[in-house]
Amino acid sequence: MDPKFSVDCKEGMAKVELCGRLDATNAPLLQEELKKLIGQKIAHLVFLAKDLEYISSAGLRVMIFAKQKIGVDAHAYLIGAQDAVLSVIKMSGLDNFLTIQDTYNEQ
Amino acid sequence: MPGISFAAKIENLEAMFRFIRKEAQAQGFDEKKVSQIQLAAEEALVNVIKYAYPGKSGDLEINCSNKEPGLEIEISDSGIPFNPLSLPEPDIHSPMEKRKIGGLGIFMLRKIMDEVKYKREDNRNILTLIKH
Repeated sequence: MDPKFSVDCKEGMAKVELCGRLDATNAPLLQEELKKLIGQKIAHLVFLAKDLEYISSAGLRVMIFAKQKIGVDAHAYLIGAQDAVLSVIKMSGLDNFLTIQDTYNEQ
Repeated sequence: MPGISFAAKIENLEAMFRFIRKEAQAQGFDEKKVSQIQLAAEEALVNVIKYAYPGKSGDLEINCSNKEPGLEIEISDSGIPFNPLSLPEPDIHSPMEKRKIGGLGIFMLRKIMDEVKYKREDNRNILTLIKH
């Protein structure tokens, strides 16, 4: 299966680009990738979701995992999410810990 | 009632989705609702795939029927007795560092579908999801 995500981390910023679907078939792969960031000092955790069409609870769990395990003190962002994804994020209360923006301007 | 049986494996999830999406589309749901129905079904199906047959393989069956107006999806398995609706709801307002990882799937399933019912019958778990 083609990867539907990419993870890039430098200078305290972890960027997680999500595409297509994030569900039970591929969320564990993303979690494995994110585990590699444990121990690094992350100040900004940025989920780039412009091209994400679908997210299930398996995907949400990975976002919770990321916040709890690699970015406890990090500011977490959700960028460019489509309506379908946004409604799932809000339904599950994850909007409480994410700054939701259309675009991301590095600060 | 269109029905189909699958080995309860994560690699069959895509085929399960295709079946459910086709049935939902046939009932006239728009793409947004079809996607929501798929999301709810995924939560139920993944539960069966992960937990119904510990240490062994097994099957699950999906039956869809017209529930005027709407769709009824019945997901059944012959695994260990488990009522997913007995799980406590997660506290979605708790701070992120204290959020528990589990329980979200069934919570969303209940939010999306209009009715969700569980019964154990003839040694099978039967979960019924209805969307009007």
